[in-house]
Amino acid sequence: MIGFRKVALNEFMKQEPPPLNIAAKPGRYLTFKLGPESYGLPVLGVREIIRLCPITPVPKMPAYIKGVINLRGKVIPILDLRAKFQLSSEGYGERACIIVVQVGTSPTTQMLMGAIVDAVEEVVQFSAADLEPTPDFGGAPSTDYILGMATIHGGVKTLLDLDKVFLQEGLLTLITPETQKSKTQIT
Amino acid sequence: MITGLVAFPQHSAPGLALAIEIMARVGEELAFVEAGKDTGLLPINSLIMDLEEVPREGSPAEYAASLTAVRSILDQILDGSGKFTDESIQFLNDWHAGMSSILTAWERGGKTPAPTSSEPSAKVLAPTSVAPPGTAPYRSPVAQPVADEPAIRLNLAEDSELLREFHGEAQELLQNIEQGVLVLEENPGNADTINSIFRAFHTLKGGAGLLHLDTLRELAHDLESLLDAARRSELSITSEVIELILAGGDTLKQFIREFGAQLQGVNPGEPIAIPTRTLRQRVRTTVSGGRSPALPTVPTPSPAAPPTPKQPESTAPESSVNQSPLPAPASEPAAPSTPATAPAKARSESAAKTESATGFVKLDTRKLDSLVDLVGELVIAQSMVVQDPDVQQLANRHLARCLRQLSRITTDLQRTAMSLRMVPIGRTFQKMTRLVRDLAAQQQKQVQLVMEGEETELDRNIVEELSDPLVHMIRNSVDHGIEPPEVRMAHGKPALGTIRLSASHQRGGIVISIQDDGQGLDRDRILSKARERGLIKPNATLTEAETFALIFAPGFSTAEVVTDVSGRGVGMDVVQRNIEKLRGKVEIQSVAGQGTIFNIVLPLTLAIIDGMLVGVGDDRYIIPTLSVRESFRPRPGMVTTVHERGEVVSVRGRLTPLLRLGQHLGTPGRATDPTEGIIVVVESGDAARGLLVDELLGKQEVVIKSLGETFRKQDLLAGAAILGDGRVGLILDVDTLVRCERTNNPANGDLGS
Repeated sequence: MIGFRKVALNEFMKQEPPPLNIAAKPGRYLTFKLGPESYGLPVLGVREIIRLCPITPVPKMPAYIKGVINLRGKVIPILDLRAKFQLSSEGYGERACIIVVQVGTSPTTQMLMGAIVDAVEEVVQFSAADLEPTPDFGGAPSTDYILGMATIHGGVKTLLDLDKVFLQEGLLTLITPETQKSKTQIT
Repeated sequence: MITGLVAFPQHSAPGLALAIEIMARVGEELAFVEAGKDTGLLPINSLIMDLEEVPREGSPAEYAASLTAVRSILDQILDGSGKFTDESIQFLNDWHAGMSSILTAWERGGKTPAPTSSEPSAKVLAPTSVAPPGTAPYRSPVAQPVADEPAIRLNLAEDSELLREFHGEAQELLQNIEQGVLVLEENPGNADTINSIFRAFHTLKGGAGLLHLDTLRELAHDLESLLDAARRSELSITSEVIELILAGGDTLKQFIREFGAQLQGVNPGEPIAIPTRTLRQRVRTTVSGGRSPALPTVPTPSPAAPPTPKQPESTAPESSVNQSPLPAPASEPAAPSTPATAPAKARSESAAKTESATGFVKLDTRKLDSLVDLVGELVIAQSMVVQDPDVQQLANRHLARCLRQLSRITTDLQRTAMSLRMVPIGRTFQKMTRLVRDLAAQQQKQVQLVMEGEETELDRNIVEELSDPLVHMIRNSVDHGIEPPEVRMAHGKPALGTIRLSASHQRGGIVISIQDDGQGLDRDRILSKARERGLIKPNATLTEAETFALIFAPGFSTAEVVTDVSGRGVGMDVVQRNIEKLRGKVEIQSVAGQGTIFNIVLPLTLAIIDGMLVGVGDDRYIIPTLSVRESFRPRPGMVTTVHERGEVVSVRGRLTPLLRLGQHLGTPGRATDPTEGIIVVVESGDAARGLLVDELLGKQEVVIKSLGETFRKQDLLAGAAILGDGRVGLILDVDTLVRCERTNNPANGDLGS
């Protein structure tokens, strides 16, 4: 698999047709900034973009769970994507905002979640030719939740898998009461 | 208070009770059978094998024949495809109904034949099948091949909205019918009840007609005629008639359940075929003859001692005692009884009018939820306007009056919106009356169900989820709690067992209690079973509560523990899981020989609670006021350390363990010395704990909102609420705080930082 990806990438360098092994689908993506890096989310999953508002922290949660906010009467959890991707963290600036996304596939599991980003850029249409597979970093940064990469205007955007970023990591690996205890003892 | 009193005679034949029980289980299995699948085939086969071994002394002649018939059909299925077909399901359902009648006849000591419609099914199963010899002791002259009973096909594409409405309405109507029947049992002459059942069937008929659900419409029509006859005092409400109404209701319920499944997307568009013919036949005969041939009353000389064919049909018209315009079924078989329709229609139109006067509106719950959310937002927006510094500086008296008016209206609006979602629990309770009645009858026990607090209001979401666990627990109470009458008498208890089902507001939540005066839980047997299963260490000593909690362990069937009744043993672990999903818990108290109390403690999730807003560090938390015993600023010396680890606070001579809330939550508070802060004493059950917080910020009525799936795994918070400034406040789970093991260590008080 990895070998194939490498080959595919090399071939892509030489010739035009994109490799087949890309999870990302052509379409419209909302691009945003986390520090100097640029990311994209499929625009279909994005519900709205709101200004940074007071976030109520939830105790004993991993650092990337920033807390909860009131979205017109609904309580929705907010993820800190910088903490989540283990990027260097500094305060949020003027242009920081919250992207509210809808995750989950079936009507019963569907829910809204928010993510703090440094700045929202634009909605871009990526064609198949713009998309590239995720490069192999040798396992160091986990690339499970990356759909692929896209190059446009000379810049590179990392395209994220909505459900994987927000659900698998956000829900399933939440600390259990046991790990919670040990965590509080360490900190 | 409603009581349902049920007493059943003892059977003389040893095999009968067993046969009845086995048939009940066959019935349960049949409910899950599907065409084209083998689900349930093996259980049914083994139950039939059990049935064949039951002693048959005193059984009617048809009993053996009926068994032979079902055996041959089962063998055909097993030898053939190994899967059910529509025809074989039909046969089994018919057979089950027929066999039940035979058993009833046996029970009554009569030898009256019951229509086992094995014949037509056997025909359908042809050519592979040969009509079993000696079967079909009775073949109704109007019986037609099963294929003539048209299956209903839902037009989901076009009628889905109407069907959905009909489905909801029908469920309600069927429940009304059931309720009415229970009233009739006690007071057969109650004209109002007869009328309301009549109206319910009539409304069902109308809805079914509108949607072209012919089988359903015809069945409802026949039942309506039955009630109509009763209404006009042409037919007295006997236990047979009541059985017929209940059977009719059950059949209609099967249809409605199927509709529900298809509306949910299970096998959409599949034809629905549920046998109604035998039942309709019985209903029509009852209407025309004043009694049912399948269930002759005991005092009446049995019209047919030997199982000769045609007997009931030929006697029915002769013994006709009324002037019913309905044609005798024998003369005009399946055709709907046209002469009756016209007058019935005229009457029921006025009935329908009175019904619409009740003034209820059916509403999509999502609309309701979004209304409640929006009203909450409105309240917050309103308070933001009122508290805006610029607005407050205006000092305009007219404006101030308008703003006051605005807040009054918004508050009222909020209260009304909240109350929309609250429903009394009574409806769920009432379902249990039927359950207890049926179970008691099945097990020849005498049980009365006493209900209290039916008017207690709960969020409808909770009420809906509560039904299943309640059914399980009531079932367990009747099955394993209440002893048979003779055992009760031997222990000096009244033969009539009592199950008390009550709901009340308590401890900041709602407590639903199921209390029986049965034999109680046997601690020693629970313990020995738990040791056997390796759930506890052989030498472990457990408190009473811990012992009882063992029955919630998965796979720990109460059946095996408390009594030797095996089989159904509904896992209490399922009950507990369901209750926990509602953020509730189950508590057990039991005294051997005197009975058991199960308390389901439910929080008012989604409902409004009174909250106490406390400040800890920079954060604010809500503590449900009902869990707060007291709050005070401690004086020096009130807080003492035990073993240099645990802190206790002494309040009026009572020592209560202290928990520094900030430290516990990982956001250390400002008050390092307890005298700088406030201690809030909270209690849960019989335990209490003092929480050290920085300040009290006020009291507020808040709407509990779920934190959602993301925070499902934590038990620190019971939920969230939108505070007056529009921010989210977190509601602490007092139970966890009171029970958490962590003790404070003032020596390194900044552990959490």
